[in-house]
Amino acid sequence: MTEIETKELSIGYEKRKIVEELNLKIPKGQITTMIGPNGCGKSTILKTLARIMKPKSGSVYLDGKIIHKESTKQVAKKLAVLPQSPEAPSGLKVKELVAYGRYPHQTGARSLTKADQDIIERSLKQTGMDAFKDRDIDALSGGQRQRVWIAMALAQETDILLLDEPTTYLDLAHQLEVLEVLKKLNEEEGRTIVMVIHDLNHAARFADYMVALKAGKIVQEGAPEQVICSTVLKDVFAIDADVVTDPRTKKPVCLSYDLMIPERAEEEELIPAGGAR
Amino acid sequence: MKRKPIIVFSILVVFIVLVLLISLQSGTFQMTPAEAFKTIIGQGSDQQELVLFEFRLPRMVLAILIGAGLAVSGAILQSISRNDLADPGILGINAGAGFAVVLFIYLFQGSYQNLGGSVYILPMFAFLGALTAAALIYSLAYKKGITPVRLVLVGIGINAGFSALLIIMQLRMSPNDFMQATVWLSGNIWGANWSSVLAILPWIAILIPLVIRQANTLNVMRIGDESAVGVGISLERSRLLLLFLAVALAGASVAAGGAIAFLGLVAPHIARRIVGPRHQLMIPTAALIGSLILLFADYIARNMLAPSEIPVGIVVAIIGAPYFLYLLIKTP
Repeated sequence: MTEIETKELSIGYEKRKIVEELNLKIPKGQITTMIGPNGCGKSTILKTLARIMKPKSGSVYLDGKIIHKESTKQVAKKLAVLPQSPEAPSGLKVKELVAYGRYPHQTGARSLTKADQDIIERSLKQTGMDAFKDRDIDALSGGQRQRVWIAMALAQETDILLLDEPTTYLDLAHQLEVLEVLKKLNEEEGRTIVMVIHDLNHAARFADYMVALKAGKIVQEGAPEQVICSTVLKDVFAIDADVVTDPRTKKPVCLSYDLMIPERAEEEELIPAGGAR
Repeated sequence: MKRKPIIVFSILVVFIVLVLLISLQSGTFQMTPAEAFKTIIGQGSDQQELVLFEFRLPRMVLAILIGAGLAVSGAILQSISRNDLADPGILGINAGAGFAVVLFIYLFQGSYQNLGGSVYILPMFAFLGALTAAALIYSLAYKKGITPVRLVLVGIGINAGFSALLIIMQLRMSPNDFMQATVWLSGNIWGANWSSVLAILPWIAILIPLVIRQANTLNVMRIGDESAVGVGISLERSRLLLLFLAVALAGASVAAGGAIAFLGLVAPHIARRIVGPRHQLMIPTAALIGSLILLFADYIARNMLAPSEIPVGIVVAIIGAPYFLYLLIKTP
């Protein structure tokens, strides 16, 4: 089972530091969600974990080895990543995109083997997309499209799956559908899943482990009950939140919240508008 | 799934052979189809054989090779820049090759025709020009890696720069050289003989299979930088290798056929329409379509205003420009 962690990890664009000295150990075989306000660096951390971004200092360790020094193709056999709102080239069919997930396992221009085909079939089934495999991706709904991308990541056959806001732009039912698929993958196959999610209640409901970030630093990490509580939420998001326990899932739920006006204003000065980095 | 590509390839090959046969028997020197056929099987007069095998056939073969080269080059550039409007013309690679050729014509002031082996020297110049342009684009667009948008924008800038230099150079030429340069820049299958064919055949015959070998990488390049890294591509290295292949193909083609515009843009598009975006099929289809279009355009160029010829590049542009506009209108 592959293990991923960061040591003294600092990341930044140009001169601006976004993440400083981060030490994060992702629990094996569990679902970890990262939450935090816009610009807190959660997507940046995910990209660096996925070796898409290079750190300024410190390192990401995959099975004890520095990930940025490993062959990227070898890393792709252990770790798959689903970026925020990816786009498929037009005219591509569902099964063709999923087949791209086999890239790290192929050599040269060799076409797909029987084993590859089986894995592609299985990935399509696991995401419930096997009925759509001959469709054009352009013709699918947002939720279906997202499941196709997840199927592609699954076809990589990795222990670790990193997802950057996999539910953005999806309606309520489709959000849940995508998250249920991920949960099933985690429970049935023990895959380690790390994702950035904006919706606090979804983050809490599907997580075994949560990481709350503010200005590139960890404010609180641990089980959902330890992270989703009014003191942490006040610190991280500058909101005054009412937290209760959901009777259905036994997980904490943020029932309602208010802005804390003066502190919020202070917050905005500290963090320059940088979009959802 | 398996049968469709074979049908597509067969149809394209049949079309190419058809246009080739029609084109072979038409021209200033009249020949009936029967005569042409007789000549092909070795029963024509000496004059007929000369026209067919020494003048027309090498030119047709060149058109096929150049068409394939430009089409595949365009296909690569569109995929690595993830921009469907990219082609060697728009990115300034043609202009770089053109500048080198015009420089060559200028430096030898009309005496180059007497220069021994210029058939081989001119392509080398064109290739060096293309390589220079590509190196400039790559180094100027490089900023901790290459983003596709920068690649295209810098390419357009380089194109404008080289075009300006070209005009300066041309204005200082003698009228004769000026004509020569203008015809070359419009795209013209010039000096069509078997040695020109031999000069570019190895490039096309070696490079296109190499590109097809990279089909999986090209496929994954299309799904975005982050996803491409995610499935294990070393982005910079692959991009550099593919860019080099595209430049080599464009350079060799431009050297033999001049700066033919639009072909590298249009052929990959039509190919994607027919066989979809997977490069395993798209690249060979684009190559065949490029050959077919150029062969046909050359037939028109030779015969429309016979006995005088118009540069084949102009015919391709007349076919290609409306398609280009159509694409611009359709692209959201």
